[in-house]
Amino acid sequence: MRDVFIIGIGQTMFGRQPQYTAGELGATAASRAIEDAGIESRVIQVAYTARCCDASQTAEEVMKRVGVTAIEMHNCENACASGGTAFHLLWKDIASGFYDIGIAIGTEAMTTSSLAGGLVPAAKGDLNGLLGITMPGLAALNAKRLMETRGMSKEDLAYASVKNHRNACMNPYAHYKKPVTVEEILNSKMISDPITRLHCCPTSDGAAAVILCTKEVALRYTTKLIKVAGSVVLTAPYEFYDEDVCDASLIGILADAVYEKSGIGPKDIDLVELHDAFSPEELYSYECMKLCGKGETKKFIKDGCAEIGGCCAVNPSGGLQSLGHPLGASGVRVVCEIVTHLRHKAGERQQPNAKAGLAQMVGGSLTGLSSPAVGFMSILSN
Amino acid sequence: MKEKIHFCDNLFKDSPSGPHLLGCVCKQCGKVFFPRTDFCNDCHGTEFENKELAREGEIYSYTITRVPVAQYPVPHAIGMISIPEDRVRVVAPLVYDGSIEYHIGEPVEMVIDTLWEDEKIVIGYKFKHREVGVD
Repeated sequence: MRDVFIIGIGQTMFGRQPQYTAGELGATAASRAIEDAGIESRVIQVAYTARCCDASQTAEEVMKRVGVTAIEMHNCENACASGGTAFHLLWKDIASGFYDIGIAIGTEAMTTSSLAGGLVPAAKGDLNGLLGITMPGLAALNAKRLMETRGMSKEDLAYASVKNHRNACMNPYAHYKKPVTVEEILNSKMISDPITRLHCCPTSDGAAAVILCTKEVALRYTTKLIKVAGSVVLTAPYEFYDEDVCDASLIGILADAVYEKSGIGPKDIDLVELHDAFSPEELYSYECMKLCGKGETKKFIKDGCAEIGGCCAVNPSGGLQSLGHPLGASGVRVVCEIVTHLRHKAGERQQPNAKAGLAQMVGGSLTGLSSPAVGFMSILSN
Repeated sequence: MKEKIHFCDNLFKDSPSGPHLLGCVCKQCGKVFFPRTDFCNDCHGTEFENKELAREGEIYSYTITRVPVAQYPVPHAIGMISIPEDRVRVVAPLVYDGSIEYHIGEPVEMVIDTLWEDEKIVIGYKFKHREVGVD
């Protein structure tokens, strides 16, 4: 296997942008990544594009708009992990020697998609969906367990939403750039007890793109190398009787795998971008990803560990809570955010001395499989 | 008189011993499945024996959904129910009149009840409080 490096990142605003198609958003992100890398688009040898809603030949459409045709292109759907999957497959192509340089793009026009105006629905035929579980309902069931087993209060459950909205005020790409208080979260409309509207991510349109290449190619364009230290995409073991839903087995095995493959452990991770479509998810991810020990989530929060400037800033971008979750785009966006910090270009929201960061996206709930059913994690380092 | 229909086939039935969820057991490894399956993802077994799951369970978690969900009346209570006897956890609506309180760990039992009504009465399974020590 060859080492793989990231030489270009680009993203659009994340927010309501119904005037743009997914192809247009993807092309904006791709052209920004190409410009950031300082390459000519024609040097790209392979392209992967992630999109979940109404997808058809998105990679081809995006790449045509940036002047790339007649190369190998793929379109990926892997629920919330779609963008991470596109990134991961590109990484494998370059690591294994099939290609020397390529692009991964995630794009989604959510507000004009078939999902616009509603919740992301259960898959057709999913029994839990037929019984009336929704995505926030599922998050609520897990949040209740957090309260029961980790001694979390309703105020504690609001922590990630407050922190991430605060971080987003420093992110020019964020949908929401407005802080929220615990009281505002608890007093906002109850969706599914204890999940209120302000625990939920907004519906947003957006796209992100990254350019990966070999060391030899990277050194033609930059001396500041950011390496993909490890990348993993896995599906869940589909347990029907998990002892603890907050100890999500998939997140645990993904974390173990990416720490082992990269040789970088949780203590050496300076920042994490992770799936927080419903803010309590972030809280149980700390333990699942071994960012803190079992039963230490409250202490991790109280000690400020997840804050920018803490030992491991979590969602310094503002997370899905503030950027929204254009399904195919988020997995690539989290990679862009980590790279921005490793380059020390994140401005006010910069995690100081960032040397290694972990990008995560998990999903595929309410598909009759497991919750979550699929996930992506990658560790990047400089 | 409205027609009564089941919301889904082969998931539950009423019987002289009371209502039951219809599960199955892998003959090769003993794993219990609900709903029924024809393939065991643990041991790859393909032979199963039908099993009526125990009616008695306990609340693993629950939530009251306050926004419209498909055809369900609002608010809609839903729980994750552990059935320890069969080592199965199921998701099911909870009997709810707007004032009943549920708590994690409480004993519940399965009942057959109306899920929603439109031009037909749609029947499914729910769980409700169970008096411990009372049949």
